[in-house]
Amino acid sequence: MDAYEVRGRLDVIEEEEAADEDAFVMVQDSPDVFCGDCGVLTVRGAAAHVSHALVTLAAGAQQMKDQLSKSRSKLSEKIIEMENFASNLEEIFITVEENFGRQEQNLEQHYNEVLQTLSQRNEARAAALDEQKNDKLERLYGQLLRCGQTLDASKELIESAQEVHRRRDKRAFLQAVMPIMKRVEQFAREEVDLKLGASLDFDVPTTDLSDVRQMMESINVLPAPSAPVMNPQIANSATETSLHVCWSLFSDDTVEFYELYWRLISDDCTMETPQEVCQLKVKETHCTVSDLLPNAQYELWVTATNTTGISPASERAVYMTVPSPPVIKARQCVSSLDAALIRWDSGNTNPVESYTLEFQEASADGESTATESIVAIPSCECLVQLQSWKRYIIHIRAVNIGGPSDRSPPLHISTTGTFFHLLEDTAHPSLSLSADGLTMFYLDEDLPISHMTFSDNTFNRCVAVLGDLVPIRGQYYWEMEVDESAEFRVGVAYEDTQRNSYLGGNNTSWCMRHILTPSRHKYEFLHNGWTPDIRITVQPLRIGVFLDYGRGILSFYNAALRQHLYTFSCQFLHYVHPCFALDNPGALTLCTGLTAPPYVAQP
Amino acid sequence: MLIFGGRLLQRAVNGAMALTQVSSNKCCDGYQKVFEHDSSELKCKMKFAIYLPPKAESSKCPVLYWLSGLTCTEQNFITKAGSQQAASEHGIIVVAPDTSPRGCNIEGEEESWDFGTGAGFYVNATQEPWKTNYRMYSYVTEELPRLINSNFPADPEKMSISGHSMGGHGALICALKNPGKYKSVSAFAPICNPIQCAWGQKAFSGYLGADKSTWELYDATVLAESYSGPELDILIDQGRDDQFLSSSQLLPDNLIAACSKKKIPVVFRLQQGYDHSYYFIFSFINDHIKHHAKYLNA
Repeated sequence: MDAYEVRGRLDVIEEEEAADEDAFVMVQDSPDVFCGDCGVLTVRGAAAHVSHALVTLAAGAQQMKDQLSKSRSKLSEKIIEMENFASNLEEIFITVEENFGRQEQNLEQHYNEVLQTLSQRNEARAAALDEQKNDKLERLYGQLLRCGQTLDASKELIESAQEVHRRRDKRAFLQAVMPIMKRVEQFAREEVDLKLGASLDFDVPTTDLSDVRQMMESINVLPAPSAPVMNPQIANSATETSLHVCWSLFSDDTVEFYELYWRLISDDCTMETPQEVCQLKVKETHCTVSDLLPNAQYELWVTATNTTGISPASERAVYMTVPSPPVIKARQCVSSLDAALIRWDSGNTNPVESYTLEFQEASADGESTATESIVAIPSCECLVQLQSWKRYIIHIRAVNIGGPSDRSPPLHISTTGTFFHLLEDTAHPSLSLSADGLTMFYLDEDLPISHMTFSDNTFNRCVAVLGDLVPIRGQYYWEMEVDESAEFRVGVAYEDTQRNSYLGGNNTSWCMRHILTPSRHKYEFLHNGWTPDIRITVQPLRIGVFLDYGRGILSFYNAALRQHLYTFSCQFLHYVHPCFALDNPGALTLCTGLTAPPYVAQP
Repeated sequence: MLIFGGRLLQRAVNGAMALTQVSSNKCCDGYQKVFEHDSSELKCKMKFAIYLPPKAESSKCPVLYWLSGLTCTEQNFITKAGSQQAASEHGIIVVAPDTSPRGCNIEGEEESWDFGTGAGFYVNATQEPWKTNYRMYSYVTEELPRLINSNFPADPEKMSISGHSMGGHGALICALKNPGKYKSVSAFAPICNPIQCAWGQKAFSGYLGADKSTWELYDATVLAESYSGPELDILIDQGRDDQFLSSSQLLPDNLIAACSKKKIPVVFRLQQGYDHSYYFIFSFINDHIKHHAKYLNA
């Protein structure tokens, strides 16, 4: 019974049920209750149903309806089961058809091979026989010819002897008889070779039919497997030193084991000689290959083997190990209250596809917090927006087609102040920096120019250096400590400020300048060579600088006294960098990472 | 101001420190008012101007006292200096008293514009006929703050002082003579060294007599040389084209030298092109109020 028939019958039941309900109503005389036990309509108080469960017509109808729907749903379930089974059968049907088809093909092929071989042998044998025959016949024919010739010669001789014999003339006879007799005797003396030139036997060479026998035998034996297929590399299945390799067999061949081969094709460092092939015997259709190099491409292929033989090798697949983790260059990272610029070393000699930056808040109690990621970073630096007044942990991963590397060692960032470092390659050669990169010294004023190496990026007149800053238009604060006698210039400048001019002397830099005269300390606030006339009575030895792009201000403070000294108002067109210069031998120490004091940041 | 109206009524009953409102104008969301009262120090009716910022409606505010210069009344500053905007933004009460007692009918008080009426020099006079009424120093440092603290939502711990010219001199000496009383001090074109300039010499000899040692008690440069107390932070603006600078009435170099020696923090700005007028004050009043706000709102 198929699904449609069953459904058809259910519909019929419905109709019948409806009809029967009507039938029930018409038959009895005013029935008012329904007997649950007997399943019939009856009158209340009827003797036959005295102790039975009697319910109202409405309740009874409901009961029966429920029962009916339960039965119906059971039947529906059965239908679904059968449908599933049917489709399963279909699949199996197709698979069996396929499998048998393959077997048929296989068999046909096999027998064709055998037949081909046999007919080849047959031809070979026949040819050999033919040759033999021709050879013998030739020889016999030769012999025959010679015999014929000999016979003809003998007959001729006899005829001439007879002719001579018949001559009457005694004198002529005696003249001719001696040479003829000699010839006849000579002839008679000759031995006649009466042996057969060729034997009458046939040389029967033994045909080597062993391979045919083998082929016949192997028809009943399993074929060697067909070539497996290498799967493409699964995402995130590789590590720095291992690959998880998978392959598939798209046939029902029996396989006893697989042999996986691999070879390094490109390495982190370029290699000239081709690498040797390694192999591994594996029972499953996957395996993990270890002891590999990071960020390297490997060529892999696999064969399947059973008792009959080895399959052809699969196509070669290329897998890649993940890169080594990068290393964050802490000294070159800069951060502020709401952002950080992170720089790192790739950690791999060959290029990788991209980098991922992961950051999470550092929680005080060691609880893990959500990690956010920035992916597909093309170069070894990234600007990340952060929230103020928090501590973050940052990791970098290198990514190639094999997947992401392990995390780099962490970098801790506090968004509580402005952290930056000095750009050493902008420093005037006479300016030396301490090991921690935060103190600068102008040591020897008389260093000859020839001893100094300048580049396009170094200051060459003003003994100055630039600092780095997060390239975001926000608020920044830093402080400097100076010697009492240091004549300095400190402030900000555009990155492309002229390297052959003095800080504050052009329109690309703004700075506070301290000049020491014999009588007093002089302070200038220079931009474009102009300064307001300002006297400061207490020499600031710890100077705070506040930069606010939004309000377009650059302010200087005596940080020790919280005393405001001067504010430039300027709308900065580009990002500016902190700048520092010493006009005479002295020292200046940079203090970064400070939070701007409240009196500074207030508008 | 209903709450304080109630208090005013009470004071009126008491009699002593009665304040009558002379005018009230809404300005920058706050109120610029002028009050009159009977001064016990000066023994006459005195007016003062007071700006109440919007913040004063709900909480106590710090107070900046502004001392005006020669010939000014309580009106000049509030109509010409444009201080209300910054005061409103920073939530600071600005009190501007008159520059001398008025209507005392002292002989000679109207003779000069730089001595007598409108030229109190913020000293307590010791000489007749001035010593009864001309007690501007005590008025500014004692009576006025008491009055303000009792009648307005003023934070008594947060006071600063500023002024122009003679008022600048007044602000400086009040701060130097009362270490710790004022959180900050600033001045516009102040008379820095009165005992060395014509103005000062004229006023001091009239108010204080011939003994120059008494003059030193009211000279900012001398007071700076002997100052010891909590650290000050002084902001001074001076117009470079100020005629009184060139006529040696102001002598800021002397003050700067004294402060440099005593390590009193001063930032002195010589503003190119500016003169002695209220236009000059208007141009830099915001910087001064911001300077005071840093300490008053800390």
